[in-house]
Amino acid sequence: MADDGSASNRRDPIKSSVGHVAGQRRRQQAVTVAKERRELLVRAKRLCRVGTNGDVEDSLVENEMMIDEEQPILEAQASKSVEELKSAVQYQGKGAMQKRVTALRELRRILSKSEFPPVEAALSAGAIPLLVQCLSFGSPDEQLLESAWCLTNIAAGKPEETKALLPALPLLIAHLGEKSSAPVAEQCAWAIGNVAGEGEDLRNVLLSQGALPSLARMIFPDKGSTVRTAAWALSNLIKGPESKAAAQLVKVDGILDAIFRHLKKTDEETATEIAWIIVYLSALSDIATSMLLKGGILQLLIERLANSNSLQLLIPVLRSVGNFVAVDPKAILTILIREQNTEESIIGVLAKCLRSEHRVLKKEAAWVLSNIAAGSIEHKRMIHSTEVMPLLLRLLSTSPFDIRKEVAYVLGNLCVESAEGDRKPGIIQEHLVSIVRGGCLPGFIELVRSPDIEAARLGLQFIELVLRGMPNGEGPKLVEGEDGIDAMERFQFHENEELRVMANSLVDKYFGEDYGIDE
Amino acid sequence: MAMGMAVDTVGELGFPYWNPIRRRFSPDSPFFASGNVERELLAKQVALDLTQDEINHLQKFVETESRRISCPIVGCPERLKSLDHFEDHYNARHTASCSVCSRVYPTSRLLSIHISEAHDSFFQAKVARGYDMYECLVEGCGLKFKSYKARHRHLIDKHKFPSTFEFFKKTQLSKKRREKLQRQHVSRLKHEEDKEAASSDAMEVEDKASVDGLVSALSTLTTSDTTPSNVSFGRRHGRVLTFVPRSVHKEKRTESSSAPGPTN
Repeated sequence: MADDGSASNRRDPIKSSVGHVAGQRRRQQAVTVAKERRELLVRAKRLCRVGTNGDVEDSLVENEMMIDEEQPILEAQASKSVEELKSAVQYQGKGAMQKRVTALRELRRILSKSEFPPVEAALSAGAIPLLVQCLSFGSPDEQLLESAWCLTNIAAGKPEETKALLPALPLLIAHLGEKSSAPVAEQCAWAIGNVAGEGEDLRNVLLSQGALPSLARMIFPDKGSTVRTAAWALSNLIKGPESKAAAQLVKVDGILDAIFRHLKKTDEETATEIAWIIVYLSALSDIATSMLLKGGILQLLIERLANSNSLQLLIPVLRSVGNFVAVDPKAILTILIREQNTEESIIGVLAKCLRSEHRVLKKEAAWVLSNIAAGSIEHKRMIHSTEVMPLLLRLLSTSPFDIRKEVAYVLGNLCVESAEGDRKPGIIQEHLVSIVRGGCLPGFIELVRSPDIEAARLGLQFIELVLRGMPNGEGPKLVEGEDGIDAMERFQFHENEELRVMANSLVDKYFGEDYGIDE
Repeated sequence: MAMGMAVDTVGELGFPYWNPIRRRFSPDSPFFASGNVERELLAKQVALDLTQDEINHLQKFVETESRRISCPIVGCPERLKSLDHFEDHYNARHTASCSVCSRVYPTSRLLSIHISEAHDSFFQAKVARGYDMYECLVEGCGLKFKSYKARHRHLIDKHKFPSTFEFFKKTQLSKKRREKLQRQHVSRLKHEEDKEAASSDAMEVEDKASVDGLVSALSTLTTSDTTPSNVSFGRRHGRVLTFVPRSVHKEKRTESSSAPGPTN
């Protein structure tokens, strides 16, 4: 962080020009800080401010101001503290252990105080080898805990900083074992979770060093914060994009039982992390998917969707449902047939998500519905006869673009039978008519105008359905009435050839020479 | 993993009909990005004392950062920040309109070609005297031709415009269409009526229709298999993103678009 020294706070008229420069610098710094803060917030890593042993850092206070003025102070403190740790580690005499723990605790405090711990300073001063030493087998719990805590926060920041933990990984993994005390194991899991959250390469290192089985075992107990932290770390570890970790996890004896147990009963925070594990299992491992489905995971997920209002939980649960539906439509057929239109039916919970104010839920719920609507005629009829229809039509006109696109998929899928062979897919006129009468045309024509190729394509395809499938040849009139011709003519200058051809062929066929001639 | 619609069932027109298929996304797909961001923000919410407002703001920021919109008009290099920006850009840059007949073109070059060929008697005079007046529509080609037909042939032969394309449509716009246009452009009504009633200048009518048709297979474009036969050259009306009455919107736009300013 730039040193913004002297002219910071004083309002001295004589020094106003200097103050102006300092003000500019601070604004610049604020921009940099804001950017770093955004990156920090979006990372899959988590800073530890409250220890797993319950220890609360007492100077967890006024963070924004700290950055500007105290950062250099913090960095100096970090270096100093590492120096003290070094001498504590070297010291062999009486009270050596206490000295080490005191030094570690001091460093840990410094690394936990602010949103931007002075990691770089600590690393430059040589913290890692010392911390690794403090992790050696047979060390007292307190020492292990403080050391792991320091490593956790070192790994919570930039990629280079996280990578610095490489030498510590074997020991961190070792202390996940069942012989370790719970707080120690949890703190190590936390550090490992941060490392796994960095990227694929580090995940592979952790996997090859055997982190997965040990972490997996940590979620077997019924409750406790350890379960939650380990589940989160596990979700970071298996997120791929390669599927081998997910495939490995599902083979761990007892893991599926633990997952089912937690999904059914545990508190929402833990269930959230478990749900993320399910997200990755269902997205990456076919074996996991079929085993989970066979065990009845879908019903449990639907129950959670029905009963919870925690956005944190709903996101991964909904996405898991989406992943299952995308892979195996037969699985949902049983659920669908069983209970329709009740709160606890799949349609019911998807409607609840569509009604929510959260963008992610609306978008992904529409995605799930679009996949259900891509199924058999029974699936389509089922959706069409429920409360979701008015919701979808309203969303098509009013919601943000990414939601409208998904809704378009649902509505279109409802109107068309799945194609057999090369024939033109048949239109389900009843559905098409009711959806068009429900006022969907403006929304689709809006998509045609969009610069997004996929959306424009969808819009044109739907217009084709309307032109072809509306009874009594109403289609062209309806499309024209909503300025559809206009929208299609836009493609004359569009760089995408396929869309040009599509638009032109529609205009040619349906708005050709004879159009309107008899009137 | 199926992403979006594949070009699957294709009928006699070559049109890719809507075919319902299931879409599956991998966990690191951009489709899931906003949900992932939301997860991380919410997880830190308590620890860092973020307000819901801050979270919304961050979400928005992350989304707009990654998603710039490329203008899809041929030859336009612009990348816009948001849909609204795109609409503004489109209306400012790609809606050069003819003050005589209110047709709209995506580039000022095409507009000026149109004006010469359709509204300029001096142009017609030179044609009559045998000068090569009909420019090739493909930018950079530079060739000129004595007749409309010759240019048309050139476009087909050299630039692969579709041969089935019919330029010389005697088609009038359908009565219905004309009525609609009248309703929407009351101020230009007189021009429209005059143009379309004037049967004397057969060449001009022909030109209009042919230029109309031409544009579908435009400039740097290569093979378009079919082109709309009676579609107008460019759009006639401004488009509306919000539901403002067209004439109002168009007037607003043309005022501001006369000197296209810098776009974002």
